[in-house]
Amino acid sequence: MEKREERRHPRPLAPDLQTYRPTLTMTMSIMHRATGIALYAGFIGMAAWLAALAAGPQAHAAMQQVFTSWVGLPILIAFTWAILHHAFGGVRHLIWDLSIAHTYPWREYLTRATLIASLVCASLFWITLLWTGGHPS
Amino acid sequence: MKSFLPLNWGVEAGSRIARGRIWPAANTKGAIRTLEIYRYDPDAHSGPRLDVYHIDQNDCGPMVLDALIKIKNEIDPTLTFRRSCREGVCGSCSMNIGGRNWLACTQAMDDIDGPIRVFPLSHMRVVKDLVIDQSRLFDQHRLIQPWLRTEGPEPERERLQSPEERAELDGFYECILCFSCTGGCPSYWWNGDRYLGPAVLLNAYRWLVDSRDEATGERLDDLEDPFRLYRCHTIMNCTKTCPKGLEPAKAIAKIKAMLVARQQ
Repeated sequence: MEKREERRHPRPLAPDLQTYRPTLTMTMSIMHRATGIALYAGFIGMAAWLAALAAGPQAHAAMQQVFTSWVGLPILIAFTWAILHHAFGGVRHLIWDLSIAHTYPWREYLTRATLIASLVCASLFWITLLWTGGHPS
Repeated sequence: MKSFLPLNWGVEAGSRIARGRIWPAANTKGAIRTLEIYRYDPDAHSGPRLDVYHIDQNDCGPMVLDALIKIKNEIDPTLTFRRSCREGVCGSCSMNIGGRNWLACTQAMDDIDGPIRVFPLSHMRVVKDLVIDQSRLFDQHRLIQPWLRTEGPEPERERLQSPEERAELDGFYECILCFSCTGGCPSYWWNGDRYLGPAVLLNAYRWLVDSRDEATGERLDDLEDPFRLYRCHTIMNCTKTCPKGLEPAKAIAKIKAMLVARQQ
C-alpha cells in the first residue's frame, strides 16, 4: 500500500462562538464567571475598607470618602449586584444539580428569575440604604 | 441576535473563513431562498470560505437537507455533507444551522428568517465542507464502554427487566449520536481533549442506570475525574440543542448525584 501523503495543512476548526446564537443560559453562565472574577476585586476593596476601619478614624474617613464619591458609589452598587447575581446563580445551579427544571420552559423561567431577583434585590437594598441615609430607625 | 462575535474573531489563520463564490439563481420561478454555506476543500491550497447559493423554494422540500441535496444535484455537485435517513433517526446530518446545532433533515427552512447560514458542527475539525472529523467523539464514546457489562456465566435466557426498571432508561437511550449537543457545549470547545462532552455522558448514564448492568461502580470510578465529568458547568446549550429533545444536562446532574450518593 502506498504511504499516505502527509497533509500539508492541519484541518481547519469550525467556528464556535462566532456563529453560535447566544442563549440566555449561556450568557448567564458567562455572567456567573464574570461576576465571580469581579468579586475577587470587590473583596479586595472590602478588605481595604476593614483595614481602614481598624487603622483609626482618619483612615476610615478617607476610605469613606472614596466609597461615597461618584466613582466609588457605582462600583459599590455593581459589587452588591455581583454578589447577589453570583449567589442566585449558585442557587440556580443547585436546583439544576437536583435534576429539577431542566425541561422547557422551566429552565428559561428559572434563569430569568435569578437574573430578575439579583436586579430587584440589589435595587431594593440601595433604594432603602439611600432613602434612610444608612441610618435605619 | 446573531452571535456575540464577528465571523473571524480570534480565529487561527488556517480556519479563517473567506468570502466565497456567489452562485446566481438559475431556472428559478418561485420565491428565492438564500443559503450561505461553509466550504472547505482539503485538496485546494486555500482555507475555508462561505459560498452563497440561491434556490427556488417552491421547487424544493421544506427542510434544510432538501435544500442541500437540491444544491448538490442542480447547482454545485462538489458540495459535501453527511446524510442518510432524512428523517431524524440516523444522526448523520447534524450541523450548525442558523446559529444552533440541529439535524438538517428536521430543520424547516421556514423557521429561519433571512439567509440560512450553514456551518459544520461547532468547534470540530473539518474534513471537507460540512463533514467533520468524528474520530475523537467516537473514541470518547468507546471509552465509557457503551455495552452491557456483566460478571459470571451467561444466563440461559434473556436478562429480564421490570417495566419500572426499563422506564429508568427513557429519555436516555434515544440518543442517535449526532453530537449536536457536544458541538454546542462551550466547555467542550475549550476542554474537548479531556472533557467527555454531553453526548458521551448521556450515554454513560444510560448504562449506569441499566438494571442489568453490573459494572456501575467501575463506570463511576472511570468518570470521577476533574475533566471527564466535572467540566460540565450546566450551561444548558446541550439540552437546548438536542434535536431529539433529550436532556444531557440532566443525565450529567444525575451522574454527579450518583457520585455524591455513593460517598455516604
